[in-house]
Amino acid sequence: MTKNRIAVAAGATALALGVAACGSSNSSPTGASGSADTLVGAGSTLVAPLVSQWQPEYDKKAEVAVTYGAIGSGGGIAQITARTVDFGASDAPLTEDQFKEAKGVVQIPWALAATDMAYHVEGVPSKLKLTGPLLAEIYEGKVTSWNAPQIASLNPGVTLPSTKITPIHRSDGSGDTFAFTNYLSHISPEWSSKYGHATEVNFPVGVGAKGNSGVGGAISSTNGAIGYIAIAYVLENEFDFALIKNAAGQYPEPGIPSISAAAKTLASVPANNEVSIVDPPASAPGAYPISTFTYALVPEESPKAKTLKPFLKWAITEGQTFGPKLDFAPLPAQVVKADEATIEKIKS
Amino acid sequence: MARRAEPPAGPALRSLSRAQRGLADRLGEPGLRALTWAASAAGMALIALLVYKVFDQAGESVSHFGLGFLTANVWDPVSRRFGAASFVYGTAVSSLLALVIAGPLSIAIALFLTELAPRRARRPVATLVELLAAIPSVVLGLWGIIVLAPFLVNTLEPALHSAFGWIPLFEGSTSPFGLLPAILILTIMVVPIIASVTREVFETVPGDLKESALALGATRWEMVRMVILPYAKSGIVGASILGLGRALGEAIAVTQVIGDATGVHASLFAPADTLASRVASTYQGATSTLEISSLAYLSAILLVLALIVNVIARLIVRRSTLRMRRAGPRPGLAVTTAEAEV
Amino acid sequence: MSTPGGGATAGGAGARHPLLVPDRRLRRRKLVNRTMEATATLAALVAVAVLALVIASVLIKGVSAINLDFLTKEPAPFGQSGGGIANSIVGTVLLVAMASALAVPVGILIGIHTSEFARPSVASSIRFALDILNGVPTIVTGIFVFGLLVVGHVQSGYAGAVALAIIMLPIVARSAHEVLALVPSSLREASLALGVPRWRTVLTVIVPTAVSGLITGALLAVARVAGETAPLLFTSSIASTMVSTDPSKALSSIPVRIFELSESPSPAEHAQAWAAALLLIVFVMLLNVLARSLFGRSRARIARTR
Repeated sequence: MTKNRIAVAAGATALALGVAACGSSNSSPTGASGSADTLVGAGSTLVAPLVSQWQPEYDKKAEVAVTYGAIGSGGGIAQITARTVDFGASDAPLTEDQFKEAKGVVQIPWALAATDMAYHVEGVPSKLKLTGPLLAEIYEGKVTSWNAPQIASLNPGVTLPSTKITPIHRSDGSGDTFAFTNYLSHISPEWSSKYGHATEVNFPVGVGAKGNSGVGGAISSTNGAIGYIAIAYVLENEFDFALIKNAAGQYPEPGIPSISAAAKTLASVPANNEVSIVDPPASAPGAYPISTFTYALVPEESPKAKTLKPFLKWAITEGQTFGPKLDFAPLPAQVVKADEATIEKIKS
Repeated sequence: MARRAEPPAGPALRSLSRAQRGLADRLGEPGLRALTWAASAAGMALIALLVYKVFDQAGESVSHFGLGFLTANVWDPVSRRFGAASFVYGTAVSSLLALVIAGPLSIAIALFLTELAPRRARRPVATLVELLAAIPSVVLGLWGIIVLAPFLVNTLEPALHSAFGWIPLFEGSTSPFGLLPAILILTIMVVPIIASVTREVFETVPGDLKESALALGATRWEMVRMVILPYAKSGIVGASILGLGRALGEAIAVTQVIGDATGVHASLFAPADTLASRVASTYQGATSTLEISSLAYLSAILLVLALIVNVIARLIVRRSTLRMRRAGPRPGLAVTTAEAEV
Repeated sequence: MSTPGGGATAGGAGARHPLLVPDRRLRRRKLVNRTMEATATLAALVAVAVLALVIASVLIKGVSAINLDFLTKEPAPFGQSGGGIANSIVGTVLLVAMASALAVPVGILIGIHTSEFARPSVASSIRFALDILNGVPTIVTGIFVFGLLVVGHVQSGYAGAVALAIIMLPIVARSAHEVLALVPSSLREASLALGVPRWRTVLTVIVPTAVSGLITGALLAVARVAGETAPLLFTSSIASTMVSTDPSKALSSIPVRIFELSESPSPAEHAQAWAAALLLIVFVMLLNVLARSLFGRSRARIARTR
């Protein structure tokens, strides 16, 4: 009797191992056969859609399997600081403290996109007009319903319901939070002093969600929700999005033309490669106000330098061709030049 | 002349010579003792190491904020001020209210299974309840997001608001994320645990006590009230506290539905956060050592809470299972207590 | 008040014995009884219905999304439909297997120690400590293993397996102890009386008697840990989308994948989440049923040895 039971248990174990073995024989290369090498990265959910296009393409081209964990820009900074990944990804540039903690990490802007304001209100069409100060008031909890006069005055002719506004923010460390709060800090001195801008901010009201994906989920399940979310996700899920008044008084639609217009206002690339283009000046009438670069974070001295450098070079050149269908704008030439100089400095 | 009596040799040892067998016996005893002792020692070391590491990582935050951390209602990475108050509140409210709802429900289920249900229905229903204890929390969270949340927003919350809106608990507008879905999910998680243990305890109530009460003319409810419940009191309390311990530590299902908001609000509809859920959502992306340390401080608070509750539950349950064991072995005993302490 | 004999003669058709006519107090007690019985039954049925509703949701929504592609393909890139969770299935099997290889032997050894060798006071301290370990929230275990094995290295299947093993250990150890303690002392005494040394008594008499209970404990621990997400969040979440059997890197797992998919706004991803949940629940339920049937037979066997 005991033997029967032991046999059953052994059979179950054998089955499990058999499945694993099957899996291993089907397994796409993980360094054993096929792919010569691997890279592990983590961070920004904004750039994750683009990276997911890069993964199969770069594997085909260079036989390098890139693993990427979309854990949020804060996670990207934390992981690369701890060197538990080969590269990090963050839409937020490193602060001075973070540079110090990271001990020899460089940031390389490798994609250009935008943070949209998506919303879901029954009865309200897409492309509602909003302004930066109004967004600040919404996120401060001062404007609480969709038919508030501040919104109605910007959108004559649109019937607005009395639904309560639920501002959605990110619960994890997020580069979109940085871009959005950076923008709010620019246009609202009150926001700047009370809440500031960072990958994680103390939002006074609203609901938090994890990842751009989570913000999308929260928006779609809450009537009356508005949230800041990377443009690729708005495109993918066909969310309603707002038109935000820029410094020139225009309401450009977020997309490659308006993002590129914002990027054109970049005068030069500083030594630490920190390129911020939120709230571009009035000299760029078609610029989308919450456009943002996103960075790869790479150690200056990395054991994987031989694999990393070609990957980064490919990402900022050929890799950019996979961007437009996800609403990533091509990198400006001066940024590419600065990137290439930085990449050269990486050594093993 | 008289050969020393040989211990019977099992098949493994029959092939060895007498001298080898003696050696095996001499080595085996201390060998097995040492091996099992080492396993226990490793287990104890692990627990000590775990507690130590968590408190150690919290050290920077503890020395920075001290005990005031426990009552500070703030979580601001920009100004570097952190405090646990809103998460302690969220943990306490969500777990306790889940217990308040789950307790009577579980007792009802246990009564149903031991007294009220027709015999044929008992086994399947009991099995269903026990198997439900095995549902992974992430699946419950998924169900909460996709099935429960719309139900709350469209049906339950408006109903509660219109009927009881004057109570601060049900004020405010409806939301698919908040304390209420977290409470309901924790309730669902905890009911099978409390119900299983309570049923076990009810089954040990001596039949003659029950029958005497009935023979004296008590109605069934009176028998339950006068015999079963008092007899099972400590077991019920122990089971409830076991459930509480489970609810306190739940991170995943809670973080999926609770809405991650700092602050203490009276309304159950408002988004909130708990200790475990805040750690789960923020730990990986915390970029300052003070914030990481403060999250470890939250974990330490959670650890202490969960341990106190679990230990109390264990002591109470053990007392009543000792009483049960004296009553004789029962099917599913070790099994249930093993899985009840999830 | 009523004479026993008198009732039989008093009155004609329709009159009942005074003792049998319920007075007001009795009627009220009966009403209370019926109300409470109905309430308890209703509450129980509602509770069981809700619990069953959860399972039904998973069944219904999951079944439609499960197909061969789902089980054998890897996740599709962003924006593309289709794909599956093959990498997560393989990852979970590996992680759970490794965790069991760690936790089951150690847990059983601890069980043997506390039920056979340790002094009662020492045994109860050990069991108390195991209770403490069992009460540690799984997210805290995840942070502990992250600090121990990931910081300074990389996320890995090993780290994930260790985190799962830590959760399994007290479950295996406790159930091992209880099953071993249930072996009747008459067996022990008989063996020792025959001169079998203690260690061989344990290994050849006691453990084999209890073996199905030991396996039950192991299976229950596996069932518990197969669905755990929190311990893997920080130890094995940055994983490849390709099927991998390399534990030196992070391995994808079904619970973590469900967690990721559950928060998405996309109905296609929700469908995948349900299907993955169905897979997970079926696996966990099968283990539980297997454990239960094994244990039932073990009890009968132990009972026969009395």
